[in-house]
Amino acid sequence: MTALRNWLTAAFVRLVAGIAIAVPAALLTGASPAAAHPMPHSVVELDVHQTAVNARLELPVGEFAVASGIDLSDATQATLSRRAAAVRAYLGRHIRPATTSGTQWQVTVGALSISRAEQTSTGQYRELVAEAVLTPPAGGDVRRFTFGYDVIVHQVVTHVTLVSVRQDWAAGQVDGEGTTQVGTIRIDTRTMTVPALKVDLGAGSVWRGFLAMVELGGDHILTGTDHLLFLLILLLPAPLAVRGRRWDGLVGSRTALVRIGRITLAFTAGHSVALAASALGRLDVPAWPVEAFIAASILVGAVHAVRPLFPGREAIVAGVFGLGHGLAFSFVLAEMHLSTGQLVTSLLGFNLGIELVQLLLVCLALPALLLLARLRAQPVLRLTGAALTGTAALGWLLDRLGEPNPVARAADGAGTHTTALLAVLAGTAVTAMTWALTARRHPAAEGASELQRVEEDRDDEAASAPVQGA
Amino acid sequence: MRSRRVRRGIAGVAAGVTLAVGGFAAANASTITGGTKAASAAKRPVDKNAKGVAAVVSAANAFLNTLDSDQQASTVLDFSQANATAWSNLPCGSSCRPGIGFGTLTDDQLASAEHVLKVALGSGKDTGYEHVLQTLEADDVLASAEATSSASDSATAEPTDSATAEPTDSASAEPTASDSAAPTSTATDLPTGAPPSGGPGGGGGPGGFSYGSGSYYLAFLGTPSATGTWQLHFGGHHLAVNITYKDGKVAGASPFFTGVEPTSWTADDGTTYAPLAKFRDGLLKLTGSLSTDQLAKAELSQSFGDVLLGPSQDGKFPETKQGIKVSELSPQQQKLVLAAIHPWVADVDDATAAQLMKTYAKELSETYVAYSGGTGLDTQGDYVRIDGPSVWVEFVCQNGVVFRDQIHYHTVYRDHTRDYGSEFSFS
Repeated sequence: MTALRNWLTAAFVRLVAGIAIAVPAALLTGASPAAAHPMPHSVVELDVHQTAVNARLELPVGEFAVASGIDLSDATQATLSRRAAAVRAYLGRHIRPATTSGTQWQVTVGALSISRAEQTSTGQYRELVAEAVLTPPAGGDVRRFTFGYDVIVHQVVTHVTLVSVRQDWAAGQVDGEGTTQVGTIRIDTRTMTVPALKVDLGAGSVWRGFLAMVELGGDHILTGTDHLLFLLILLLPAPLAVRGRRWDGLVGSRTALVRIGRITLAFTAGHSVALAASALGRLDVPAWPVEAFIAASILVGAVHAVRPLFPGREAIVAGVFGLGHGLAFSFVLAEMHLSTGQLVTSLLGFNLGIELVQLLLVCLALPALLLLARLRAQPVLRLTGAALTGTAALGWLLDRLGEPNPVARAADGAGTHTTALLAVLAGTAVTAMTWALTARRHPAAEGASELQRVEEDRDDEAASAPVQGA
Repeated sequence: MRSRRVRRGIAGVAAGVTLAVGGFAAANASTITGGTKAASAAKRPVDKNAKGVAAVVSAANAFLNTLDSDQQASTVLDFSQANATAWSNLPCGSSCRPGIGFGTLTDDQLASAEHVLKVALGSGKDTGYEHVLQTLEADDVLASAEATSSASDSATAEPTDSATAEPTDSASAEPTASDSAAPTSTATDLPTGAPPSGGPGGGGGPGGFSYGSGSYYLAFLGTPSATGTWQLHFGGHHLAVNITYKDGKVAGASPFFTGVEPTSWTADDGTTYAPLAKFRDGLLKLTGSLSTDQLAKAELSQSFGDVLLGPSQDGKFPETKQGIKVSELSPQQQKLVLAAIHPWVADVDDATAAQLMKTYAKELSETYVAYSGGTGLDTQGDYVRIDGPSVWVEFVCQNGVVFRDQIHYHTVYRDHTRDYGSEFSFS
């Protein structure tokens, strides 16, 4: 009881501290608009690579027209391409990064597009999105430079540009979620000039990039419900024997473990090979067929859990379908546009993260898998699991073939509750092991009724004392 | 033992969840009830016969006497640079400005707070106190428009078209008897224009942005007194009043940000309001008097989407004045410059306003007038600036945020040396 009370006290203190931190934090975040603008501002997001910096510019079309004389207010993607040369020339004149010693970088403005945006208190407006590659002279430092930039603000002197870093591999910022503000570019009203922004991202290292990739890989498998579900549904009937064309009876624990190990290994091999080939070969595989293939793989797994489709050949199936999952993993790396050196390190880290978390999850699921097979309710539980998984897989399949549906949304949503998922897995693992240990001590007791009795016995301080059958 | 540990773990998680939920509920409850908790506080001296700054102090004390100690604590704050410069034109509520929210006050407390403003601000028609209250009403118009926008896309009411209003002929700095923005025939209270169609944008958007007269905040930075140094700090969306008192005198009536959306509207009782019409008209008369040559000299090459010296741009006056020098203008035109400055200055009490106007008149020949965009002040980007040795006035037209098919106004009045009563230096 003392331990519980201590735990509660600690939890309460932590909660209060959390509120104490969260409230001022919310106020501070809210305070930033004080300096903000009722007019939309520009946004520049930097992706810092090994030898170059990619910049994504988001420019309000109205202010852009005033400053550049290029009116894009009615532009569509088609008409934009006619003005593309003028837009690129204008941007090229006003984006002027340089080394700290003053040597100009090379600037190449790439893809242009028009989209809609809304900022706090601006209402909706159209914005021009431009991608640019900023390249320092050979050997130049991409982490410290002088960002000369006066797009729009050279003319619209009240215009403000927020500069942030979206991806910085060597600093361990790889998840593409959230950005780190670097600074604000605005006119110095005293001199009516636009000072260049000094960018200093500090030291980066391969180790930080690698660690971040391990974390990204682990996070990816944990939140990517589909990969996990495929593996688990394939493992579900592993401890069962096949009689005729149905799952019936048990195989020995050792056989079950060997099967689980082989399936997991084959899945790992499959997705690792595909991930490496796709990433290193920089294959440009379209996303939706791969994603649809993954949904189909889960559906096949679910059917197999109902009726054995390929008994004894689960490992091969896991390996082949694993290839598809590996391709999907490679999209994450492809999006990061990494240099080859960073890519190899990333591949290792990312894959390691995936395997570590996958191993952890399989270990957590293992006791439950073995236990469930021994319950009298096994067929019901297995069929329920297969039905749920099959439904999710169908939802995903339709969604990925272009038919968005609530089932897919719900299934994707499940991936956001990673803590709950881990808690449930850990909970079942502990329960299963407890039961197994208790059952071993009382060989007379068998089946589901034993589990119930253990539940009732929990209150008993002397849980190890012999218990008479109910 | 194993099963006990499991059970304890589960109990712990459940208790944790209960605690978390309970904790948040308690936190919310305290936010709601904290402001109304009765607590005794020392009464401050009130003198109904006081004049000048003493009258402002008395009104401030009378207001504080209506508050409990918690409310007083959120109203009377340090006269620090951080507090003084915490103002914004944005509808960012209390997240960007200190003070006690009008929305949290009882009717009596609110009346008492408004009395402080009435004593502290100018008494001219459509300036000072009237002007400030109209700014709050404009925000209520925005709040209603936001609330009804999803349902009233096809509503027939039209906002009054202030852009067609003619400036009056008088060049006098006196408030004119009638405002020139002609009332229209609409009897409805709300301009509808084209409010954004629902969604999370506009007023109810992220960061707790909200419109309405309840989201205006009053603070006294330093203890109100007729001998010490303190500041009356009042504002909300489109409004920032900063009046600094020192030794019984007004040491600065700026920075003063005033803007408005919609630029005019007709209230339920049929009265048409246009809080910035007088401000705009003074500038229109001035720019309208300029010859082609003078206009060419006054025109700025840069474009403006907002005022240059808005919030957080304190002390950052351009080192070089731009535009046409007032000494190059005719005596009649020079009078128009003074008249154009007057509405902003007239938002402080009348005696102080007269004093400031005297200073600005003395410095008039060294003052510059500049504009950008058109001179009509009816199009996004139309901009006028008056920049003197002391005075700084900016007026800019911006596309509407709630009424998207109209423009709205942002303006700021600063003083190169008297902002915040010269209490702070900005580097």
